[in-house]
Amino acid sequence: MSGKMITRRDFLKVASVAPLAGAFLPALKGAAAGPAEKVKVVLVRDPNALDASGAPNAEVVQRMLDDAVCALLDERDAVKAWKTLIRPEDIVGIKTNAWGKLPTTSQVEQAVKRRVMDAGVAEDKLSVDDRGVLRNPIFQNATALINARPARTHQWSGMGSCIKNYIMFVPQPSAYHGDTCADLATIWNLPIVKGKTRLNILVMFNPLFHMIGTQQYNKDFTWEYKGLIVSRDPVAADTTGLRVLEAKRREHFKDDGLLKPTPHHIQLADTRHHLGVSDPNRIELVKLGFDEGILI
Amino acid sequence: MKRVVVFAAVLALLGGLVLMTEPIVPDVQKLAAFIPPSIGPYVSEADQTFDAESIFDYIDGAGEVYRSYNMKLLVARRFHKDGKPDIVVDLFDMGSPEDAFGVFTHDLDGEGAGVGQGSNYKAGLLSFWKDRYFGSVFAEEETAETKGLVLELGRRIARAIPKEGPKPKLLSYLPAEGLVADRVCYFHNHSVLNYHFFVADRDILLLEQTASAVLAPYTTVGGKSYLLVVGFPDEAKAAQAYGSFAKNYMPDAKKSGIVRTEDKRWTASAKAGDIVIVVFNADSDQFAMNQLASVQELIEAANKK
Repeated sequence: MSGKMITRRDFLKVASVAPLAGAFLPALKGAAAGPAEKVKVVLVRDPNALDASGAPNAEVVQRMLDDAVCALLDERDAVKAWKTLIRPEDIVGIKTNAWGKLPTTSQVEQAVKRRVMDAGVAEDKLSVDDRGVLRNPIFQNATALINARPARTHQWSGMGSCIKNYIMFVPQPSAYHGDTCADLATIWNLPIVKGKTRLNILVMFNPLFHMIGTQQYNKDFTWEYKGLIVSRDPVAADTTGLRVLEAKRREHFKDDGLLKPTPHHIQLADTRHHLGVSDPNRIELVKLGFDEGILI
Repeated sequence: MKRVVVFAAVLALLGGLVLMTEPIVPDVQKLAAFIPPSIGPYVSEADQTFDAESIFDYIDGAGEVYRSYNMKLLVARRFHKDGKPDIVVDLFDMGSPEDAFGVFTHDLDGEGAGVGQGSNYKAGLLSFWKDRYFGSVFAEEETAETKGLVLELGRRIARAIPKEGPKPKLLSYLPAEGLVADRVCYFHNHSVLNYHFFVADRDILLLEQTASAVLAPYTTVGGKSYLLVVGFPDEAKAAQAYGSFAKNYMPDAKKSGIVRTEDKRWTASAKAGDIVIVVFNADSDQFAMNQLASVQELIEAANKK
């Protein structure tokens, strides 16, 4: 424990809905412990994930994904593991992220697609899409979703997260921008996605840890982390990715590393919307691959 | 006859008011004309134009930053030269000089570049404001050449904008002593306040996009203190906001308006007409109260003018 003091500003950051009066002093003494059950998150890294030009190495990416899914599901064989996620009769939408400056990457998309097909799904029963999901018949009729996106900072939500990746499932994304995207997790309750997500993949090949200006992307604020974070729980995956981004910011800026704006949609996805787990103490983090520069 | 004269007088008055408050009409062609068609060996591609609704098509959710400053128009122009990193100009008509200044203050990192009425350069990005316009000039890769071109583009755009505009009046209420003047921010909602200095998840100061606020850091003997001055549309709203802040942030202050917080610093608040003043993180109760008094004196002095 760091012994860091909790101030009233900290208290008012923790999804408070009530005034401080009366509640303040008891709250500072510490919150009650939550349920003991942990959720599993796998962080896999490979020094050869990117080639000399910085492009993902497809063969290595496939192996990383396979290793992560096997570790996540306690299986030795990747195809067998995927068969516990996806049934042959499933209609599968692979929700990607097409932001041109830092996309999910075709290598990740193809690695997922290959294993979905290995699980028995016909090619015409799956689709990879981002901005067109609402008009895509596969996504309209999907029985299973795989959620894959890169980790990055975001000027309004704080972090481009797995949770946030589903904002394209609503016709008017700006309707979810209130309080810097605090309630993004409510999207996960919409019929088009509710209960369908089988796997979340937070791509950490070269994350963006800081943003400036309207264009938001600057290569100077990326680094080659060469990792993937994989979990059934989007909140736990994002929480882990956020820890990496903040650690990188601490290293780079020599400050507290906290993102601005605060990506409180991740914590609120847990505490307010019960989508998953945001408490690192309730996350079982399995690390695979090389350790150098792992940061967490 | 008398009725006709009165009617004519009313019309004349209305006409005068219209002339006095000449509407600002965002004009794409005028905005685009401030940007040169080429720079050095680079030539420009076709412009893209966005308003406060369509800006999401350009920069997704990040558009909320510009919407929070009431943006009216954006012209985006990309400059290209084969084999060189692209340079992108995003020039905003913010509708008012105050909001152009405000959006500029959203990110004050970088070194002053001497462009327009205020500017910063860092890592290939030049930001500046002049009159009611905010400009961002960005090189996709920073080199000695692109840095020079980015700065030259900014200077040419700023020169093309014919006049300067006033900064927000609230700035005149900030005491000079200890003020870190180049880190003062101006904004309208609690999300942006929290971006600069976290207060609370909820909008306990009732900024609601209808208020205007400045947040000013002060260097003090014991560290850094923040002064927040919020102007509301009317006194009733200011009173409501003052009460909300007192109830939610410093209930233990009772009616004194000042409280020592958990980190042994002081927070104090006051209301002066339609303005609410808050001092955060003061290293002594005396400093906090002096700051409040100084702001109130500056407000009174301004009201007497």
